[in-house]
Amino acid sequence: MIWRKLRSLFRKDRADRELDAELRFHLEKQIETNIAAGMPPAEARTAALRIFGGVEHVKEECREARGVALVETLMQDVRYGLRMMRRSPGFTAVAVVSLALGIGANTAIFSLINAVMLKMLPVKNPEQLVVMNWTARQWPDIGHDGSTWGKPPGPVSGSSLSYPAFQQLRTQNRVLSDLFGFADLEQTNVNVGGHAEIANGQLVSDNYFSGLGVQAIAGRTFTETDDLPGAEPVAVISFRYWDRRFGMDPAAVGKAIAVNGMPFVIAGVTPREFFGLSPGDYPDIWVPISMQPRVAPQWGGKEKSLLLNPGEWWVEPWCRLKPGVSRQQASAALSVILRQTMMAGLSSPPPPEKIAWVELRLGGKGLDSLRSDFSQPLLILMWVVGLVLLIACANVANLQLARSTARRKETAVRMALGAGRLRLIRQLLTESILLATLGGALGLALAFRGGELLLLLVSSSERPVALDVRPDAHILVFCTALSLVTGILFGLAPAVRATRLDVSPVLKAGTGGGSDRPRWLLGKALVAAQVGMSLLLLIGASMFVRSLQKLNSIDVGFNRENLLLFGVDGSLSGYKDERAGNLYQRIQEGIQALPGIRSVSLSRHGLIGDGSSQSGIDIPGYEKRPGEVLLAWSNSVGPGFFETMGIPIVLGRGLTIRDNETAPKVAVINEVLARRYFPNQSPIGKRFIWHEKDVEVVGVAANAKYYDLRQENPPTIYEPYLQYVEGLGRMVFAVRTASDPSLAIRDVRAAIAAVDRNLPLYNVRTEVQQIDSALIQEHLFAELTSCFGALALLLASIGLYGVMSYTVARRTGEIGIRMALGAAKGDIARMVLREVLALVAIGLGVGLPAALMCTRLIRNQLYGLSLSDPVSIAAAIGALAAVAGLAGYLPARRASRIDPMAALRQE
Amino acid sequence: MNPKADLLQGTLDLLILKTLALEPMHGWGISQRIQQMSQDVLQVQQGSLYPALHRLEQRGWIDAEWGDSDNNRKAKFYRLTRAGRKQLDVETSNWVRLSAAVRQIVETA
Repeated sequence: MIWRKLRSLFRKDRADRELDAELRFHLEKQIETNIAAGMPPAEARTAALRIFGGVEHVKEECREARGVALVETLMQDVRYGLRMMRRSPGFTAVAVVSLALGIGANTAIFSLINAVMLKMLPVKNPEQLVVMNWTARQWPDIGHDGSTWGKPPGPVSGSSLSYPAFQQLRTQNRVLSDLFGFADLEQTNVNVGGHAEIANGQLVSDNYFSGLGVQAIAGRTFTETDDLPGAEPVAVISFRYWDRRFGMDPAAVGKAIAVNGMPFVIAGVTPREFFGLSPGDYPDIWVPISMQPRVAPQWGGKEKSLLLNPGEWWVEPWCRLKPGVSRQQASAALSVILRQTMMAGLSSPPPPEKIAWVELRLGGKGLDSLRSDFSQPLLILMWVVGLVLLIACANVANLQLARSTARRKETAVRMALGAGRLRLIRQLLTESILLATLGGALGLALAFRGGELLLLLVSSSERPVALDVRPDAHILVFCTALSLVTGILFGLAPAVRATRLDVSPVLKAGTGGGSDRPRWLLGKALVAAQVGMSLLLLIGASMFVRSLQKLNSIDVGFNRENLLLFGVDGSLSGYKDERAGNLYQRIQEGIQALPGIRSVSLSRHGLIGDGSSQSGIDIPGYEKRPGEVLLAWSNSVGPGFFETMGIPIVLGRGLTIRDNETAPKVAVINEVLARRYFPNQSPIGKRFIWHEKDVEVVGVAANAKYYDLRQENPPTIYEPYLQYVEGLGRMVFAVRTASDPSLAIRDVRAAIAAVDRNLPLYNVRTEVQQIDSALIQEHLFAELTSCFGALALLLASIGLYGVMSYTVARRTGEIGIRMALGAAKGDIARMVLREVLALVAIGLGVGLPAALMCTRLIRNQLYGLSLSDPVSIAAAIGALAAVAGLAGYLPARRASRIDPMAALRQE
Repeated sequence: MNPKADLLQGTLDLLILKTLALEPMHGWGISQRIQQMSQDVLQVQQGSLYPALHRLEQRGWIDAEWGDSDNNRKAKFYRLTRAGRKQLDVETSNWVRLSAAVRQIVETA
């Protein structure tokens, strides 16, 4: 049907010629008949034409019968619309720009939602990918590296399997076409040509790339032989790493590098769009999983290798099902194998509730860590930008209304000439949709830039978020649909209004004429709605800003200024146990000797958002309540830690270099722990049992935040790391500088290179940045909603200004009469301002209750504020009133300067 | 139409289909045939005839083909399609039912 219409459109010329011929034939026949009836030829022709009726009219109806008319008139309307837009460039520019901002903001947020929540992984047939997890009724007696969920005593689940179980599942199953796995190496020391840097690494099974259907764009990916014992160690690098580290040099393939100190050869490069299985994460380098003993020996403890260890679960398996096999069938079959592997080699089988079974989930969109973190914030932001777009729509609708007043004459003429009302509405809507389409196109360009900007906002040095936000089919469809809906939304009401007019008075009257009170009512209603929606956004924005301020003004218990942090992991460069402790000590001394450095220390976890450790302690003499478990948080710290961080010691002493492995085990506790577990006594000299060791309390430190800013200070134990150097890994150094800490980075790097030039330091940041990145969502909300709030305010004030300007222009005559009758300039200005105030008051009256209802939706994102925080609300109302006052003042001033004589003459 | 005999909406379609069921014909021929067969009661106006023909063609009930008319002039001949034949049956039975019903009312009342 549509095809036929299109065909008839494209063959329009031919069809028109045929129609002409057909009608001519008919006419000639009629003339012949008339002549045969005895008319003279000329009269016969006239009579024939008379009988026939309007030839053009018949043709038009024939065309319409063929269904050509719709498309053809659409083209006409588009051409006409473009002409009208060219004729009023000011209107067009304002409308297109406000729409572009609205649509652009929406598309940018949507492109993030798309990348985080909707997009399939860029691999072969992603919809077939299945994630394999395990679930057991009780935690099995295993070590687990990966994610776990479910809380005891309910069933628990985890993402990882032991390597022997993974291998057996892989070889014995009959239900999967592919089973492959990976494990995160996280910080990996990659040394290229003598220059060491930290990269994001992963261990993957040899069939990882082939199972995903990812092919190398240079060199090759892994093959079966790469996982065999004795195989040459090879690595595959990602496109971005190839770009960043090798400048896309083709000679990178085949190059010898060192990964965590072990020699490897680069085998190939993956395509640009491939980022592994976790959106937002972008690994730099992959090595075969059988290389675990070489690149991550610390995981295996004394054994080094985990490859034969059934008790450590660390491989995250993914699979594809064989055709015709359901997930239920597959998980049943796989559970049998998993059960066998858990029983194997055990003299006494584990109790049945500790036997895990396999669960399969669809994994086409990848792992969901980013999804669970950002889904809610993104959806809230989507609402915010939706409101901004509505405000923009109201603005353009108002402009359209104003313009339709100017176009009343044109509309009346067209209606008088017989244009149908629907036809006119259709034409006006076409113009609106044209505007929206232009706005949408511009918005798409904005969104592309905006999406990348947003990525920078959500990325922290701790967790860079690498997402592909380039426009894809989803985004294009979204943007197009949004533009169409927008066009109809702001175009329909004005179009209906514009065509509801009585033709003859308009044509009779001179320029404007006729009462258009209801139209202005609509315009004012739109402005009031804009004010209300802006208030909603402004209250939200000021609550986010206030909440961030509150978080930033939390007393962290240490001095966050002039503090440089960075990580060093000696174990990745071959420093084990005492040697690692020794290394860190030398680094500490080297940095301490630098000029401009007040002090330096180190700790297992950097303060705020850098991980934490907790475990149970036993305190001899402490009377437990029934069922009470004593828990403490702990951090291993270096000598001078409290001095460097600025945490006061309130009792006893801090930790020094003498608290080493040969000295008696000591610890400093914080005040919370002292008060809770050593009530009403001095804890100095008291002892507790900790990891089966007897530890003496030598000092009490003032309370300080540890991991989470929002949390109450936890009971904390600071233990000297030098007493626990076995398996010592990454440490975070903290350098207290005299001035701007970022200026010290070069010196610090040089000092570390002087100790070992192959030792990379990573995640270099200031403590202020560290705290900011722990508050990344709060920053995101505060910054984005402030931007959008300001945008909303701007749009609303343009709307208010526009409506008031038109009102003043329309009432020029009336104002002239008032002034002629003795009204003072001030009276006139007050009259206009009163109207502005009324509009704003109505907007506030509607917006405030709506805002109070909506704050409940953002409860989880707020800190330390009541849901009706009076300061936020007052700030929002103040900002709105100030801007609205300004937007209303200009027309009011113009009204007061009207010259009564000129105004009356014009009338 | 003849002002005295306004055709019910859709009736013209039925008449055209019926006329074409006999033989393929051009527009002029159709209008003449209808006038003849109704003994000049029904006069089809060109303003309705040609849009109707194009509409029926668009729906696939009739086909058109250029052919020779008398003294070798080219004319567009319309022909009933298979779908058109079915439609004719449907419309005929509708018409019979409708006219019977109308007659019933008119004659009893």
